[in-house]
Amino acid sequence: MKKIINFLKGSPKTTVGLIMLIVTLVMTMGAPLFTNYDPIERFEGKYQEAPSEEHILGTTQLGRDVFSQTLHGGRKSISVGFFAGTIAVTLSLILGISAGYFGGVYDSIVSSIINVVMVIPNIVLLLIIASLLGGISPFLICIIIGFTSWPWNARVLRAQTMSIRSREFIYSAETLGESKLRILLVEIMPNMLSIISSSFVSTIIYAIMAHATLEFIGFGDPLSVTWGTMLYNAQTSGAMISGAWWEIAGPIGGLLLIGISLTLINFSIDEISNPKLRVQRFMRIYYKRQKKQLKENGRRS
Amino acid sequence: MSDALLNVENLKVEYITGDSTTVAAVDNVSFSIKPGESLGLAGESGCGKSTIAYSLMRLHKPPALITNGKIVMNGKDVLNMNKKELQQFRWQETSMVFQSAMNCLNPVVTMEKQFFEIYKYHGVTKNKKEAIKLSEKLLSIVGIPAERLKDYPHQFSGGMRQRAVIAMALALNPKLLILDEPTTALDTVVQRDIIQRIFKLQKEYGFAILFITHDISLMMEFCDSVAVMYAGRIIEQGKSLMMLKEPKHPYTYGLKNSFPSLQGPLSHMEGIKGNPLNLKNIPQGCRFQDRCFRVCDKCRQIEPPKVEHTDGFFYCHDQLAYDKGGKLHE
Amino acid sequence: MKYILKRLSFYIVAFVAAITLNFFLPRFMPGDPVQMFIGDLYQSGGKIDEATIRAVEEMFGYNTDEPLIVTYFKYVGGIFTGDWGLSFKYYPQTVTDAISRGLGWTLFLMGTSLVLGFIINSLLGILVAWRRGGKMDTGVTVTSQILANIPAVVTALILSLSLGHTGLLPTGYAVTPLYFPATQWDYIKDVIYHAILPVSCILITGLGGVMGMRANMINQLGEDYITMGIAKGVPQHKIMIGYSARNALLPVVTSLAMQVGFLLGGSLIIEQVFNYPGLGTVMVNAINGRDYPLMQGILLMSTTLMLTANFLADIAILFLDPRIRRQK
Repeated sequence: MKKIINFLKGSPKTTVGLIMLIVTLVMTMGAPLFTNYDPIERFEGKYQEAPSEEHILGTTQLGRDVFSQTLHGGRKSISVGFFAGTIAVTLSLILGISAGYFGGVYDSIVSSIINVVMVIPNIVLLLIIASLLGGISPFLICIIIGFTSWPWNARVLRAQTMSIRSREFIYSAETLGESKLRILLVEIMPNMLSIISSSFVSTIIYAIMAHATLEFIGFGDPLSVTWGTMLYNAQTSGAMISGAWWEIAGPIGGLLLIGISLTLINFSIDEISNPKLRVQRFMRIYYKRQKKQLKENGRRS
Repeated sequence: MSDALLNVENLKVEYITGDSTTVAAVDNVSFSIKPGESLGLAGESGCGKSTIAYSLMRLHKPPALITNGKIVMNGKDVLNMNKKELQQFRWQETSMVFQSAMNCLNPVVTMEKQFFEIYKYHGVTKNKKEAIKLSEKLLSIVGIPAERLKDYPHQFSGGMRQRAVIAMALALNPKLLILDEPTTALDTVVQRDIIQRIFKLQKEYGFAILFITHDISLMMEFCDSVAVMYAGRIIEQGKSLMMLKEPKHPYTYGLKNSFPSLQGPLSHMEGIKGNPLNLKNIPQGCRFQDRCFRVCDKCRQIEPPKVEHTDGFFYCHDQLAYDKGGKLHE
Repeated sequence: MKYILKRLSFYIVAFVAAITLNFFLPRFMPGDPVQMFIGDLYQSGGKIDEATIRAVEEMFGYNTDEPLIVTYFKYVGGIFTGDWGLSFKYYPQTVTDAISRGLGWTLFLMGTSLVLGFIINSLLGILVAWRRGGKMDTGVTVTSQILANIPAVVTALILSLSLGHTGLLPTGYAVTPLYFPATQWDYIKDVIYHAILPVSCILITGLGGVMGMRANMINQLGEDYITMGIAKGVPQHKIMIGYSARNALLPVVTSLAMQVGFLLGGSLIIEQVFNYPGLGTVMVNAINGRDYPLMQGILLMSTTLMLTANFLADIAILFLDPRIRRQK
């Protein structure tokens, strides 16, 4: 416990990131605790009203409470992002590590698939598949994002596996006759935990953002409330032109919060796992002392 | 001391570490080199010998800081130079052959340009043709054909790159040449060839040499005198012959015996027990106490004083003594 | 030469793979897509006649007597000879016609932001790496990473609402509508003026490049040839630019090309927010009108852009890195 507190004290990035993430998660996952309004309830006569005491973030053109929509919508946006991220990371783990470990024909097949998928612009591919399927449910969006955004991570993991594979402890495990599965799971995976976790976090960021983007273009289920559909509705109802900033303030704030907090957390994962980055921390002390020394030298000469 | 070319006094180089404390990689080191003299600096890896070499040209990288001491080269205070003076001082008065010649040439620039840079930034010539003529001459000294100047570093073999770097180091006729383990990356045959070449050139041009290596027998063969470092300090220094035959410090004795000599019969080899001292945890008394085969109570309490003799000096409470045949007294 | 051929053959394989994906995706969709599609097309106000129905059926692989493999080769051949099919929405216009209307503007946006972004990211990366661990380093790396992780939609909406609504900068179109500039120079000024906001948005989404340049620079600064350069008396700014940055840029050129796809995706969305008449707008129109051939065309076009960028990067590397040049 003490260790954790000390670590948080030494790393403001982690502290800020964690607090922001917890706030966002509590507010969205426990949405009914923070707002009494139903996100799809229409308040007659209150169309596109500016924020007031009654409606903290105002109402939409259809008279719905923006604050309630933001909290409830965030729930869906974050869960879709989380599950899509999980699918993508699982795929990249399986394909990247196995290709890096087994090598040979299997590796060249997998890596050429990776290379080909990487040159097809992701967002466009997402849009095409989405449009072929017509209007799509959050579940389908999860699957599509998951299945199209794994190659980047797979490439990194493959390279990392290859470099670990050539180290001695893997050779010794092989000569000891350990099974391949055991070597993969017990010897290789634990050595890549930091890369796996940081790519997991960045894939979640990407998935949440891709989800919002898809829905903004018009591929969401128009009846479900998410950050993406809120932006879509605001854009189509002309909120941007009439200057109803509060309509987009909610979802944008939510996306910013989750984006910033996860990015900060990713920085601290890197810092913990990469000792080279920790060197950076005492560079600041170095600069201070160097400055002091320069001053003293200046006086001497 | 006034006739010395390089004079280092009480040099202290500290590294800043994670928990914002410092570790002194070089602690209170003094030595001097006369013009044309060659001094060898030996010791295990991590003892601070390369740190000394780098700080002589103020090339030490963050987070290393020179926190104390004086470096006077040819009458000029190196630590008090401003940017411009420093830039002129480097290479012109002191040049250096680095540990890894493989990697110390800019990979995307031709050799020609890399030579030209030296002349350009030191105001020798701004004319490229003239610079090429000068470089061709240098290359012929180290036995590389002139037409190779147009090549990129990756087209050179390891030994050739090392020779090219030596040629570069001599470009401005420096007064001191620092060799920082110049041959570790090369095979033994090429190693000897290169060292011999450098010391032949030394006789011709008369520069002084600071030769850094952990191969103490190679050093004793070529250098006038040898200094041995342990845990950031020079613990013994003396004329090569004395250091080879009758070292006074147990560490020098151990270091000497852990390398096969290149000439003469193969004799008994023994290592030094234990690991190098952790500089974060310096004990009271002698720094070498835990690994010394002659350690006594005094060594654990009092830091040994400097003992001077005709051929050099050392820091030890219980110096080694030899009988007439050169055998160690037990 | 061998190097170029090797890269070129990979690009052809990748391009054919994209075509294949395009060909099979609609044919493997579940249900009765033809009915659904025609229904959708009808609802979105498209013209339905014999020709459209036949086109839709052909796209989904129905109502043809020839085997699938023959159709496939015909399709691939068509793509390479410039026959990308007919647009549903703009019928009887061809897909290539519809795309070429937006392509110029998108290329303009992308090109401008790629060049500017390359300069900005590299300079920031160089500066920050030189004083790594300092306050500026932390500030710049954290900010750029966060900004790069925020999706293009959000950046575009924020900029459009904040800067756009002050009236300082236009929030829509590539040129002022119904404006007939007197001189060519006036026209160029108008175009630049309208491009400021979209280009800034693309630049912001591409800020992740700072981290890449910084990491490369730090790697290079640790190399021995840098120390040797300093020891040789080469002035500091020359070390920074001629030595470390020159070498650190090599991997950046390659990753920049890979980034084109990411930036292109962002650019298509940004165009939509700013009502910019580029590929993005063509794409959204195609999506709303369920104009599937046009969307396929846009996917192919973006893949082509990606591959071209990569090929250009390969050639640039060939000139910048002597080690690859001599590897014959």
